[in-house]
Amino acid sequence: MNILWTILGAGANAIAVLLAAPLCEGVLRKVTAVIQSRQGPPLLQPYFDLLKLLGKEDIESGDSPGMQRVVAYLSLSVVLIVACLIPMGFSAPFNGVGDVILMIYLLTLCGICTLLAGLAAGSTYSLIGISREMMTMITLEPLFAIALLIGAIHAQSFRLDSVLNGSVYAARLFPWSGFIILAVMLLSFQGYVQRVPFDIAGAETEIMEGPLLEYSGPKLALFKYAQMSRLVIHSALFTTLFLPWGSGWGFPWSWMIFWGKTLLLVLLVTVVAATHARYRIDQALRYFGGLFAAGLVALALASYGH
Amino acid sequence: MAATQKLKLLNEKFGPAIQRANLPGNGSLFVFVDAAAIKAVCKYLFRDLDARYVVSIGADDRPYSKQFMVAHHFAFDREHLLCSVLTHLPADNPRVDSISEEVPAANWAEREMRDLVGIESVGHPYPKRLVLPDSWPEAVHPLRKDIPWNSVPEGLDEDREFQFDDPPEGCVVVPFGPFHPTLDEPAHFRLYIEGERVRGCEYRGFMVHRGIEKLAESVLSYNDIPVMAERICGICGCVHNVAYAQAVENAAGLVAPPRAEYLRTIMLELERLHSHLLWVGLACHIVGFDTLFMQSFRIREPIMWIAEKISGNRKTYGLCVIGGVRRDLTPELSSELNRVLDTLEKEWRSVVSAVLKDRNIQKRTRGVGIADKALVKEMGLIGPVARAAGVDMDCRRDHPYAAYKRVQFDVITADGADVWSRVVVRATEVFESIRIIRQCLASMEPGPVQLDLQGELEAGRMGMSSVEAPRGESHHFVITGENNRPRRWRVRAPTYQNLQGVPMMIKDQQLSDMTISLGSIDPCFSCTDRMETIDVRSGEVKVWSQKELMDLAASKRNAIIPATQIPS
Amino acid sequence: MSLTSKIKETLVCLRAGRVTLPYPAQARPVPAGFRGRPIFDASKCIGCAGCANNCPAREILVFDVCQEIRILKYLGRRCTYCGRCADVCPEKAITMSSEFETATNNIADMGQRLELFMSTCQRCGRCFKEPSVLEQLKLKGYRIDDLQNERWVFGSKAYIGNEPVVDDIKIDLD
Repeated sequence: MNILWTILGAGANAIAVLLAAPLCEGVLRKVTAVIQSRQGPPLLQPYFDLLKLLGKEDIESGDSPGMQRVVAYLSLSVVLIVACLIPMGFSAPFNGVGDVILMIYLLTLCGICTLLAGLAAGSTYSLIGISREMMTMITLEPLFAIALLIGAIHAQSFRLDSVLNGSVYAARLFPWSGFIILAVMLLSFQGYVQRVPFDIAGAETEIMEGPLLEYSGPKLALFKYAQMSRLVIHSALFTTLFLPWGSGWGFPWSWMIFWGKTLLLVLLVTVVAATHARYRIDQALRYFGGLFAAGLVALALASYGH
Repeated sequence: MAATQKLKLLNEKFGPAIQRANLPGNGSLFVFVDAAAIKAVCKYLFRDLDARYVVSIGADDRPYSKQFMVAHHFAFDREHLLCSVLTHLPADNPRVDSISEEVPAANWAEREMRDLVGIESVGHPYPKRLVLPDSWPEAVHPLRKDIPWNSVPEGLDEDREFQFDDPPEGCVVVPFGPFHPTLDEPAHFRLYIEGERVRGCEYRGFMVHRGIEKLAESVLSYNDIPVMAERICGICGCVHNVAYAQAVENAAGLVAPPRAEYLRTIMLELERLHSHLLWVGLACHIVGFDTLFMQSFRIREPIMWIAEKISGNRKTYGLCVIGGVRRDLTPELSSELNRVLDTLEKEWRSVVSAVLKDRNIQKRTRGVGIADKALVKEMGLIGPVARAAGVDMDCRRDHPYAAYKRVQFDVITADGADVWSRVVVRATEVFESIRIIRQCLASMEPGPVQLDLQGELEAGRMGMSSVEAPRGESHHFVITGENNRPRRWRVRAPTYQNLQGVPMMIKDQQLSDMTISLGSIDPCFSCTDRMETIDVRSGEVKVWSQKELMDLAASKRNAIIPATQIPS
Repeated sequence: MSLTSKIKETLVCLRAGRVTLPYPAQARPVPAGFRGRPIFDASKCIGCAGCANNCPAREILVFDVCQEIRILKYLGRRCTYCGRCADVCPEKAITMSSEFETATNNIADMGQRLELFMSTCQRCGRCFKEPSVLEQLKLKGYRIDDLQNERWVFGSKAYIGNEPVVDDIKIDLD
């Protein structure tokens, strides 16, 4: 019975992410268009884009075609596994199997996939792209680890279901650490979802999509799908970690509220992306460095019960 | 008079080396000197008299004087004088002393002279092929009069490759272009990258030659050329159109009627308006700020519409013929133009007030792409790039043409010498353009818009004209000729000089800043490349893509190691 | 991050509203005086070939089949819609239309062909005085452009010969 629920829940989460990801991208494009005084593409355009790419010839180019194919599958599947670890309106399907550390590993793996994709393709621009990706990853992943750690400290547990339930605010005293890390994560959120001003790794006007430069057809579709899903996954993680309100209302309501909050985050990402210029890698690193320091302060506060 | 004074100075200094001079009295001076003295004269003009270098021109004059001709053009901006130093070379030995060591800005022009006319610059510091495609044989010079405009030369080898210089030690080669999202036209920069820093670059451009100058000299006629000249550039076409017409008028001693001059001014300023708005948009796009890009284009669109109503096309105005313009402005259109300008001014003011305080944009543009006063002087940089470095220079005021004598406007300068200053200069110049158009509309009198030409244009006369394009000075030089067409027509677009400064501007900068630095000169490769080799059949592009692939393949192998050693 | 600037920028954006059109479905009307594809009116054309002599793109060919019949062929392949032909036409037989969406799979769609019956001027054979000296190419007599290969031939003939002219470099004035 338990296994059946796990399978059902995992299927539900994965399908929800797969369905929602292009829709969120569509919303993002449409809202961007509205801000830019344009008509914009139809809301469902990302679905058609993916279908079109999937239907194209699978071209083997780059240094190691086998690796490229594996990475393309891996990037999407990692995102889907993460999806099964997040409670989306009901308790996470893979609740028992992993803890916070696994989550951090998996998210790092998302970045690693991009690295591998760039390395396997091996063009100069891909290499510049992955070096940038690596630098942002090195500064961003610890930040996320700190956020999860603060939750774990307050929840006194590394279990995902207890951490991913607004536990950052569950301090014994006033939750200073929770609010600081909320601000930090909000300010760095564009970096996690790789949108302007922190879409440095794939900056189109500088290094032409960087790591993905050499990809086309179905493989590109998978990478694009993974990218779109990353937006949803990170928004979902952010929601469960920092915006837990309404999750205890029972299945259909909590599910709807969860997705509503996620969509709101996507809108926020859109508005910020549409009103900013891209930062340079060194500027971005300095910025993240400052946030990291703030994160450490929050961690210290948390360990003293705030 | 500035011209007589300069001539006197030259005479005192060089005496018999100055053969003769021609002072047409329209702000130009032609000095014929001995070929042996040309280097010294140019050095004297450039260093001692502080003239600005404009362009060097080689011409095949053999059918007429049995000689080759070389002209170096200089400008005295404060004295409102364009000065041409000319010399003749024997037909069997077209060699002349290079001035590039004294005047670094002449580097490209002298290389181009060698490629196209076959005039060797002796002592040139970097005598590498510049203009001709790699497949082109060495000894064929397409601008010589004995080469037909449509011939494919013998010895054309499509497999020949361009020999790049060796990259410096420890640098990775990153090919930038010929096709890149921020380059709207093909041009190739071979960047030497150390980590994320650009240590140097080699430029290989001139991939969009269309042979316009050769066509003009051999097939087209005087009044055909303006519409061709307009197609030199997709953005500042009207500038070339007007500059050509003025160069011919200067050569023939014609003066267009006042109303035509006003109309030229209005269209030139409309063009500047749309070009500056376009540039601000593109600069924002390069730094990833697409929203402002879209807004710039939205604000720009009514200008295109009013231009379409006035001239019949939104961009290619087809404005000039020799001695006037083709279409007049109706009273309804001028009141509509006034309304368009009012809205534009209001909207642009709100955008500028927001952007000038936006630290996000400043972060990407301040201290980036530095071109200081010294570089401006050495490389002959012009336009907003020079003005952003605090050099007070504007052809509209310095070498007045069309109706600019009759209107009031300020020359906008800034001191930062960086990309941000160029943003500020361009954004502010929009208001000056609006001011100029309003004055023109107010003071324009009804009258004819075309001269009634009697008789043909006399052959063998020279004329030049500098027009301030949105990107800087566009310089045209014409020698009138037989059969209703010029003997020689040379176009020097502003990007031709500004692009030569780019390697210095991007040196030791981050790779991310490369695109915006290049973008900040508002490069227009079609303008720069305008020229000579007509051959669309030579398969140039194919050769280049091969080369590209080979570059990529080679760089892949040695790029992996440095990519992991990036300083943060 | 200068927040006021960002807010101002957003306001500029939002105040504008949506300005683009769903283009192929809905197009902006073309203004009067637009220079689109030139349309040749055979009923007005007198066959003076002024347009052919002044076309910067050399896209108008003239071929004299015999004394009475002149073929005027507009190719339209690389026409830049500059409107010089309409300018010099003494009979206003060429109008710059509002057509600009001229993409086609078959380049021949762009062409127009006029077969003109010419009566002969007793004095010069063909008569037309061009508006200014700069427009005069001094071409007299018969023009025989290369219709088959669609190439402009710079020159004219006093008599209609039998041999076709293909060399378009040769310049023989008069």
